Order: sequence, then C-alpha cells, then structure tokens
Amino acid sequence: MDQFLQYTILGLVLGGIYGIAASGLVLTCTTSGVFNFGHGSIAMLSAFLYWQVRFDWNWPTPVALVAVLGVFAPAFGALLHITIMRGLRETTEITRITVTVALTVGALALANWIWDPTVPRRFDYFFGGTNQVKIFGSRITYHELLALAAAVLIAVGLRFFFYRTRTGVGMRAVVDDPPLLQLTGGRPERLATLSWALGAMLAALAGILITPILGGALDPNALTLLVIDAFAAAVFGRLRSVPLTFLGAVVLGLANNYVLAYFPSERWTWTSNFRISLPMILLFVVLLVLPQDRLRGGTITRARERFRVPTMRSAVVWAVILVVGMFLLREIMAPAVVNTMVIGMTFAVIALSLVPLTGYAGEINLAPVSFGAIGTIIAYHYGVTGSGVDTRMTVWGLLLAAAVCAVVGALVALPALRLRGLYLALATMAFGVFVSTMVVADTVPRVLPLLHVEFSIFPNGTLNVPRPRLGPIDLADGGTFLMVITVLFAVLGVLMVALRRSGYGHRLVALKDSPAACATLGQNPVRLKLSVFMLSAAIAGLGGALMSAAMVSVNPDRFVIFVSLGLVMTVVVAGIGYVSGAFAGGLLAGVGFVALQNMFDKVGTDHASLSSLFSFLSQFSTVLPALIGIGLARNPTGFVDDIIRAFEVFRRARVMLAAGLALQAAIYLLAYTDTFSNWWFVALTVLLWGIWPRITPLVSDRLAPAVRARRAGAGALPAGPADGPAEVPLELVGVDVPLTDEHRRVLDRALGLPETAALPGDLAAVPGRVTPSAGIPPAGTLVPAP
Amino acid sequence: MALLETDSIAVRFGGNVALDDVSISVAAGRVTGLIGPNGAGKTTLFNIVTGLLAPTRGRVLVDGADITRLPPYKRAHRGLARTFQRLEPFVSLSVRDNVRVAGQIRDTWRRRGSLGIGKADPRGRGRLDLDRETDRVLELVGLTDVADRDVAELPTGQARLVELGRALMTRPGVLLLDEPASGQTEQETEAFGRLLRRLAQEDGIAVCLVEHDVGLVMDVCAMIYVLDYGRVIAAGPPDVIRADPAVIDAYLGSAEEGAA
Repeated sequence: MDQFLQYTILGLVLGGIYGIAASGLVLTCTTSGVFNFGHGSIAMLSAFLYWQVRFDWNWPTPVALVAVLGVFAPAFGALLHITIMRGLRETTEITRITVTVALTVGALALANWIWDPTVPRRFDYFFGGTNQVKIFGSRITYHELLALAAAVLIAVGLRFFFYRTRTGVGMRAVVDDPPLLQLTGGRPERLATLSWALGAMLAALAGILITPILGGALDPNALTLLVIDAFAAAVFGRLRSVPLTFLGAVVLGLANNYVLAYFPSERWTWTSNFRISLPMILLFVVLLVLPQDRLRGGTITRARERFRVPTMRSAVVWAVILVVGMFLLREIMAPAVVNTMVIGMTFAVIALSLVPLTGYAGEINLAPVSFGAIGTIIAYHYGVTGSGVDTRMTVWGLLLAAAVCAVVGALVALPALRLRGLYLALATMAFGVFVSTMVVADTVPRVLPLLHVEFSIFPNGTLNVPRPRLGPIDLADGGTFLMVITVLFAVLGVLMVALRRSGYGHRLVALKDSPAACATLGQNPVRLKLSVFMLSAAIAGLGGALMSAAMVSVNPDRFVIFVSLGLVMTVVVAGIGYVSGAFAGGLLAGVGFVALQNMFDKVGTDHASLSSLFSFLSQFSTVLPALIGIGLARNPTGFVDDIIRAFEVFRRARVMLAAGLALQAAIYLLAYTDTFSNWWFVALTVLLWGIWPRITPLVSDRLAPAVRARRAGAGALPAGPADGPAEVPLELVGVDVPLTDEHRRVLDRALGLPETAALPGDLAAVPGRVTPSAGIPPAGTLVPAP
Repeated sequence: MALLETDSIAVRFGGNVALDDVSISVAAGRVTGLIGPNGAGKTTLFNIVTGLLAPTRGRVLVDGADITRLPPYKRAHRGLARTFQRLEPFVSLSVRDNVRVAGQIRDTWRRRGSLGIGKADPRGRGRLDLDRETDRVLELVGLTDVADRDVAELPTGQARLVELGRALMTRPGVLLLDEPASGQTEQETEAFGRLLRRLAQEDGIAVCLVEHDVGLVMDVCAMIYVLDYGRVIAAGPPDVIRADPAVIDAYLGSAEEGAA
C-alpha cells in the first residue's frame, strides 16, 4: 500500500509536469493556429541555459530562474512568433508543420553546438534531493511538491485567465475568428505573441522541473521528445481544453509510474522500453476514440503553394538525363564517394515516398525513415539468402519489406485519418519515436512464447544488412548499386508523375484542395488517404531496406526520429510536389549537409590558421538545414520550383542552353582527365548553372535582333518578332514582350481602327520609348491620327 | 414525387438555434427555391442534407430512404450533389480536370471492396467516354472556351459554373445549388436560368436553389420555401410567395423596394 501511494504521488508529480508542458502547447496552438512541434525544444534549450547560468556560472537560484523563466523563454517565444510563425497564416498545414519541425531540428543542432554532447551535465533537485517530507509514509522531495504545486497553480490560473480576464477571452476569440476580433477592437497578433511568450515559459518551466526527476545527464534528444508526452496529453483535450489536457497528463504520469512499479522488469526485458513508449501508445489510443472531425471546406483556396505538373514526355526525358548523368558522374567519382552517393540516392527513394502522400494528397508522414527501419528489419530477417561473403538480400525480401510496411502504414494511419492532417503528423511522429524506443531498441534475444524460438528484432544493436542481388545483377559492387538505385529512382519518379496525371492522382489533389467538395462528390476520404499512405509507406520501406543495405552495418541511431524530421523538412523545402524535390531533398538530407560539414572540417585541419573559422562553418552547416526550413515560411513552394522557373529562359534561347552544356562537358572532361579535382568540378558546375540562367536573357536580347534579321532575310518565317503577336496574348504585350509595330497593327485591327502608316522613324529617340515595358506606350503612338 | 425530403430538422450551435423544425420537399423535374435573409439557415440546411453537419433532431430522406446517418460520400452515391456558397474549387486542377475528376470519382463508386485503384470498370465505360462526357458538361454549362485555364484565374461567376459542372458529372438526382448566380453578370444569370430549367425538365433532376436574386428564383422555381431565423415562414408557388405578407415583411419587401 505504501508503495502504491508512493508511486501514485510520484505519478501525479510527473503528470503535473507533463500538464505544464502540454498546457503551453495548447495555449500557443489555440491562439496562433500553429501547432508547435518545437515545443519540447524550447524546454530543452531552457533547461540547458538554466544549467549554464546556475551551475556553470554559479548564479544564485532565484536569479537564474528569473533569467531563464522570466526573460529568456518569453522573449524567445515572442521572437519566434514575430519573426516566423506570424508569416504562416494562409499557408497549408504541411508548411506550418515543417517550419516548427525545422525549429526542432535547428534547436537540437544548436544545443549540440553550444553544449558539447560528450560532456555530462547534471542538475540537482531544487532544495536538494534529501529535503523530504513524509506524507502518509511516503517520502516526497520538496522539488516534487513544488512541481505539483506549480502544476495545480497553472491549471487553475489558466482556467481563470481564459474565462475571467479580458486578455484570456480575447485569446479564445483569436482561435475562432481573428479578423472579427480585430473589428471588435482586439489585437489578434499581439495576443498571439503573448501566448507564444507564455507557452514558451511553460515549456521552460516543465523542462527545468523534469530534468532532475528523469535523472541522469541533460540529454537534448530526450528533452526535445518531451513534446511527445505533451502531445499525448494535449490530444486528450483535443488541443483545446486545458482541464482535459491536465487530466490526460495525470493519466500519463500515473500510467508511467505504475508500469515502473508493477511490471516484472526482470522477466519482461522490454518493460523499460515500454515505459518510454507509453506516451506514444496512449496517443494512439486517444486518437482511436476521438470522434470524427467535421469535414471542412478547403482553406487552401488562398494558400500560396502551387506546384505545376510535368508532362509525361518531360518526366521520361528527365529520368533518362538523371540516369545518364549519374553514369557519367560515377566515372569520375572515387569509390568512397560512390558509396556515399548510393546512400544519398536511397534517401532520395525514401524522400520520394513523400511526393504522392504530401505533395499530391496533402497529408504528412513525419517518420518515413522509421518505415525504413521496419523495411530493414523485415528484409534482414526474412529476405536473405546465402551465407558468409555470399549473403545477399533477395528481390522477394525487398518486396516483402515494402508489403509489410504498407500494412504497418495502414495500422499507423487509420486512427488518425478520420481527423485532420495535423493528427496524422502526430501519429506518425509518435510511431517514429515508438520504433526507435521500442522496436529497434529490442536488442536482447529472448524466447518467444508459444513458438519457443529465440528471437530479437535488432540483435546486439547492430544489423549487418547484406547487399541485394537482383537476378544476375549483384549490388555488392558500389558502382552497380549506384546505377541500379538511380534507375529505380528514375522509374519510380516517372511512375509518380504518371500517378499524378492519372484519375487517381487527380482525386488525391482534389482531396487536398477541398475535402468537403470531394466528399460531396462521392469520394470516401479515409479510403483514399489510406491507400496513398500505404503506397507511401511501402516506398519508404523499400528505400529504407536499400539504405541499410547501402550502409552495410546499421545501428538503432540510424532510425531516430530526428533523421526523419530532417529528411521531411529538407524535402518540403526543396519542393514536396515535385519528384525533383524528392531528389534534391533526399540527397541533401542524406549526404549533402554531412558532406558540407566534412569539407569544412577537412579544410579546417588543412589550414590551421583558419581552423576556428572553418570549425564555425562546420558547426553552422549542422544548423543550416533548419534555417533553410524556417525560411520555408517565405517560399512555401520550395526552391526546386525557383530553379525550374530560372531555367525556363532556355526555352527561348536554345543556343545558350547548348553553349552551357558545352561548357559543362568541358568541365567534365577536365575532371575526367584528372586535370583538376572533383571539388573543382562540383564548384564550377554549381557556379556555371548559377550564373548561366541569369546571363542568358542579357545575351539573347543582344543576339535576338541579329537572329531576327537573318530569319527575315531568309524569308523562311513570316516577318515580325520571334515571339509573334499570335503567341503572346494581347493583354501581355508590353509586359512579356516589347510592343512592336506588328502588335500595334493587330491592336488597331481588333479595335476596328483604320490602318496607320508605320511609326515615325524618330520614335526610338522619344524618351517615352522605354515605357512600353510597363505596358503604357507613350501618348500618340497608339492612337492614330484621324 | 418528392425526391429529397427533410423531416423536422433542428440544429443548435451551443445555445443558438440555427434551424428549427424545417421540413421541405424537393421534387424531381422542377426547381425548388429556398430564399430568406442572410443567416436564415439556408446553407446550414444544405450542409445537413449533404452530411457535412449533423442535425440535432430530424431526418433527411432521399427517395424515401433515411440517410440522416450516412457520411457525405455515401449520400453522393444516393444521387445528391451540391455547389458551395464559399467556393470550393480544386485549385490545383484546370477547369476541365475539375469537371473530369468528378467523373473519375463517380467511376470508383462501384468498386466497393477495393482501394479504388486498378480494376476495370464493370460497365466498360472507358476513358474516351469520360472525356466525351466532360466535354458535353463543359459545353452545357458554357465553359468550353476556358476549359484549359487554371480555375484560380476565373472570375467568381465562372468558378461557380465549374462547381455546377463538377456536380453534374456525378449524374445527380438531386442538385443543391448554393447562391450559384452571385458574381454572375445579368446575361450570365439569364443563361443560367435557362440551364436550370433545362436540367430540371429535360434531365428530370430535382434542383434545389438557394439564391438572393429574387428575379431568378421567381422565374425558374415551381415551388419556393422562405426561411427566416431558422424557420420556414412560407411555402408555395411564386405567386403565393410574392403576395405573402410575412415574406414581404421579412425579406421580399425590402428587396423589391430596393429594386424600385
């Protein structure tokens, strides 16, 4: 009984802290409409900062607390809202999720940069661990009492604040209708900023209180994942109700302690993993029982994200270019680089899984790499033949991996698909953490009940995943693997474009644009989302199994949720609606940023005098992806789209394209003959294609008159500009192309005006001549004399 | 013969009564009008009929069958289709694909049990047929000229026609139109009126029209219901409605005075 009471009280304490964190999450979510996946990161950064000022710099406790809770956290929260989150109105949920995910990834990289992760940092209970009171025979530290009191105070205080103060009522109004609130004299943006400040403060408090209770050294990962516990509690309250959120938190805290107390951890080796996974499991249970969401109309009508659809022809052409280009690159790559590239391409395949799901259907999976883990495990256990050096993964193993992932995907997604997209993001993130805490952490062999065979999912914490053999093609050779995976990506990419252009793809896009309209036309939204999620999970599983095969030896660290988060973020930043976005994002997340960091490290060691600069740059490149991700708020369609647009100038300047390709070929030849190193090749290539689209319009403008004159002289084409009046809609004349005599004649005809003589010869000398580009021709030139 | 009926529908949002004891019936082969001032509950009634909202009380019947508990997509399978007052076009698709995708969705209706991928159409209607039908509907609603434009580029009046075309692609028995003429020019409205009559008379569709353009409503509707504060305050053919003192008081009077 004493033991029960002790664990109950400790459970309440833990639940109280979860509640503090979760109520902060609910607060920011309801008032700003942005669900902050980085909520745990704020807790983490604050806890580290508290350690810094209190224990490293030895500030007195009250001063340190005020500095962190009173100054740093609110300022950080408010700053986040003002600089980033405010810009997220009228973007899709995907963009919002990605930006806060970027915040998470960035904060983690930052913490690892500032506070060297190899140094253990601890901090003690407030008032020390020995100052205890006895309540009904249970020992409770002052710290725990303090946490409990804080939780109760905050729960009551928030309730009062929301219902009894003008600011609080205003905050509730912000959720419902910001413009309306503004009309009635409220200031929604200011209230939202305030709620971010308050939410960040609550996160910080939770982070500082929970650290000594969890024990051990400060761990940035674990503290960041505090957000999952907060999710589970917040979902109890449907991300709205503070009291229900606290209730959820208490259930979570108690469950955690009862498992600790009453599960036979000696016999059930998985108990401690199970305890860590409890919030994820609870989250799923809550999702299962939540009532179905009302179908809403698409708010997307005003959204800024727009993806264009390539034609099948261009998809095939680009697929061929990719394969040929990769073949040529392979010829100049060192073997080590080839292997890195293979891993990058497997990441691109995993990234491709997000294109139909997120790019087309507008749903998100925050744990694609975790499906990769499932794929790896299946392929490792059930898809391998041969022994010794001849051990190979079979095609059937890969297909089985994909199939099992599809089924697992269905199980993961089904509870959340009835609800809006955010819940699927939560469910997948919970699944991702579950995989890393429960599935790949299962390293100790144990005898399975009933079957009586010894089995562990991830024996000894390392899997030696064999390379695949596909019929006669043996992928043990890195070069062969690279070509096979490139061809696979190209084929899958073309299939994705075909999918987007098919009726199925149209239905996916329609569902994204307006779920309500789609349903009233007779589309079952859950079934459609489920099918695309299964497809996506299957591709991720296949890519993951190949990734593990490419790495040869994998450990559980490869599958932590942060790998997935980084990948998702990078792909969205690159352009989630495009296969090329998956390619660029996958390569960047898989190898790009690591390569950048390695390069800076290497250059730093080579040039000792600048080593501090280069070590800064190297650390900076770990934070860089997150910064780019946060920048997504400004450009939600992704950078691939910008590149495509930039390259459109070549449509009208084939000569320049040919010239650029010739230069590229020359660079390639120089690299091929080892005249200069591959770094030069990469640098010159990037430089060339960065500059070339920019100078092309200048050059072609200069060349165009000459070309035109030659064409007119040859008489093969009708006279007039290359972009004749017929090709440009008249309303765009003067905007897209310069106004010419020919246009004037067409306009005159269209307006029924009498034909006039050619423009006066001295028009070019009229100062107003420059204005046609603004669409306003100088007076007197358009209107003919009667 | 009433194809769509609502039976004593009531809805509350918190303490507010949005609809109270609303019973209407929409017959096949003619246009039934639903008019009333803003906030009278017209769109709420549409949302309940199509299943986007659940009523607090009452039933929705299609062809005599109770569909009150069915999800929206199953109601579409029973022949319900609608347009939206706040436009809901598929902005990523062209005008043609907006209309076409509705046909593609309809083609999946009979594929119960599968995930809606693959599997040949049991009636053998192929792609060609879908293309032809899309063209026919585009022609019917008058969007052939803009078929390849982005739907986001269209003016509101035409975007409403896209929604109408989309709804028609499902071959509905009951067509619910929520302020389809707002944003249209006078000529467009006139053509639209002709189209509505044709849909009702030639295709036998039960059309239910929510509209503020009283001229259009009086012109095309055989039967009109007037809603005010969530209650039906009058029902009958246009002549009766025009003369009804309660209607003039609540709605019409001001409109006609404004027009005069």
